[in-house]
Amino acid sequence: MPLTVLIVDDHATFRLTARLLLESEGYDVLGEAVDGADALRAARELSPEVVLLDVQLPDIDGFDVASRLTGSEDGPVVVLTSSRDGADFGPLIERSGARGFIPKAELSGERLRALTG
Amino acid sequence: MRSLGRALVAIGATGFAAGLVAVALVLTADDSRDVTTFDMLVGPVVGWAFIFAGLVAWWRRPDNRFGSLMTLVGFTWFIGALGLADAPGVFIVGALFGAVPFAVLLHMLLAFPSGRLEGRAARLLIGIGYVAVIALPLLWAPFVQTSDIEECKGCPSNPLLISENEPVGRVLFAIYGLVSIAVLIGVAVLLVQRWRRAPAPERRVLGPLYLTGGATMVLTILVLAVQSSGGEGAARVVNAVAVLLLGSVPFAFLYGLLRTRLAQTGAMREIVTSGRGELRDALATALRDPSLELAYWLPDREVYVDLEGHRIELPEAGAPRGATRIMRGGECVAAIVHDAALNEQPGLVQAAGDAAALALENERLDAELRARVEELQASRARIVRVGLEERRRIERNLHDGAQQRLVALRLQLRLARDQADRDPEAAQQMLDGAMTELDEALAELRELARGIHPAVLADRGLEPALSALAGRAPLPVEVASAPRERLPAPVEAAAYFVVAEALTNVARYAQATRAVVAVERRNGHAVVEVRDDGVGGADPSRGTGLTGLADRLAALDGRLEVESPSGGGTIVRADIPCG
Repeated sequence: MPLTVLIVDDHATFRLTARLLLESEGYDVLGEAVDGADALRAARELSPEVVLLDVQLPDIDGFDVASRLTGSEDGPVVVLTSSRDGADFGPLIERSGARGFIPKAELSGERLRALTG
Repeated sequence: MRSLGRALVAIGATGFAAGLVAVALVLTADDSRDVTTFDMLVGPVVGWAFIFAGLVAWWRRPDNRFGSLMTLVGFTWFIGALGLADAPGVFIVGALFGAVPFAVLLHMLLAFPSGRLEGRAARLLIGIGYVAVIALPLLWAPFVQTSDIEECKGCPSNPLLISENEPVGRVLFAIYGLVSIAVLIGVAVLLVQRWRRAPAPERRVLGPLYLTGGATMVLTILVLAVQSSGGEGAARVVNAVAVLLLGSVPFAFLYGLLRTRLAQTGAMREIVTSGRGELRDALATALRDPSLELAYWLPDREVYVDLEGHRIELPEAGAPRGATRIMRGGECVAAIVHDAALNEQPGLVQAAGDAAALALENERLDAELRARVEELQASRARIVRVGLEERRRIERNLHDGAQQRLVALRLQLRLARDQADRDPEAAQQMLDGAMTELDEALAELRELARGIHPAVLADRGLEPALSALAGRAPLPVEVASAPRERLPAPVEAAAYFVVAEALTNVARYAQATRAVVAVERRNGHAVVEVRDDGVGGADPSRGTGLTGLADRLAALDGRLEVESPSGGGTIVRADIPCG
């Protein structure tokens, strides 16, 4: 049974590439969202097991979105991502309730599986 | 100064001679004329007293008209003595114009201490007074036979008589009397008003003047009253006292005048020597207006500012406050903003301002400097903010553009590598996509680098850089002129970014079909102009782009102007000193 994923990013190129990459590594990509509000709605409707969430979104900040998604007990596992270095964000990733962080350039099914275990 | 002294001595000698003529007239008067020894002695002395005191005042304060007014009272005083002459031609002058000195005396009373009449009411009253003593007698002259007048025993006949008409004469005399009393009352009201407004130090000066002047006026009225009731003896006594008092008037005024000079000298010294910020207080004290404010004129910016350099507006006409501009060397230095009550005394405010002009000029320079410092601080803060915004924009552009593309490229390359064995065709497609992504990333990096500082500009100067800019614009842009020689790097950069920002705005908002760029050197300045044929109506305060440019230019002492009438195209013009 493949893990179900929701990809949240405002850059279309990244969404497309990430979808191809994850699908080629056996993930089931349920859908894509372009901003924070879209992400919250899509997560409610699709109930993915994993949300791959960009930190910088045009409306709500990725950390806020992560807090809201992980607020309830049956919420998805959230993995934050960004083209910036994870170290740039200091303690924010941990505080947001996200399971972890993967730099965009290093995204792979393997890295994702290591976090979602 | 010496020529003034000579002129005053000559006037004094003439006055003395005029007095002697009066004495001679008194002595040779017809026995039937009612002349007393008292008249003989005191009459000329009063005239001489005014002339002497007037000349002293004139000499001590040559720029003040008060001395000349006092001297004039003395001279006109002798006209009355002409009325004692036997020759009808001389007699009639004295008979007609004997009251002129009283009009001049009232004039003098109201004009103390500046020698000028302050306020419309005073000017009107004194004008009426002069008309009454000069024009009204001329009206009765053709109708009244002087030798028939009861009070004029033994008077010669009137040489101006055309046809004797007693009723007309009586009516004119009555009018004359009424006008005189009205003027006297008016003057008394003004003097009382002035007394009420005057603070204690001024009252000490005005006191003796009002006492002697007022007593003389009261006694004169008393003489007229007693005379008309037929009390000859009593009238003579009162008259004698009045004349004696009158003789002391000029000295009281001389004393008062010299005292105000001393008082004003004190105030002026304070004005001239006052330190920074004390000038306002010194002027407020001198003009007795605690609400007084100073507004310094900045000719470059054409605004008034306070001492701190903050902009202030002058009160409009009709406002509860008035403003008096102070000039120095034909240029406006500052304005004194004062209570509207001082509008009645423009001479006073102007005189105080003139005395303070040099100090005002110094404070003006101070205020100008402060205004400039304030402007510099504001523009420096804006430059820092613009710098920060610029860095933020560059970071955003890098992050959203090239960095995203390179991230995607990295992922695509890995996908292609993973699929190379399984699906070579898909891998090839991935690699094609990756190359497109790389091209885009390179283009974006180039654009960004150019936005930070174009290499052509640094290496080859303004002309090729502007041509390149024009070539990349999405509409036809003609570079009409650009200096072939190199300008200082900051000037070139400023000129380049003015054109770049203007062309960006043209492409975004102007709906223009073409634009023309021109950069010319004029009088050591680079004048940059970008003109389009678009819709106009551009608001320079709208975008941060132009404001940022204006600050950048201000740092080089340059200026940015935008002319953009609605429907008439837009001209962006920058003027940058080449240093």
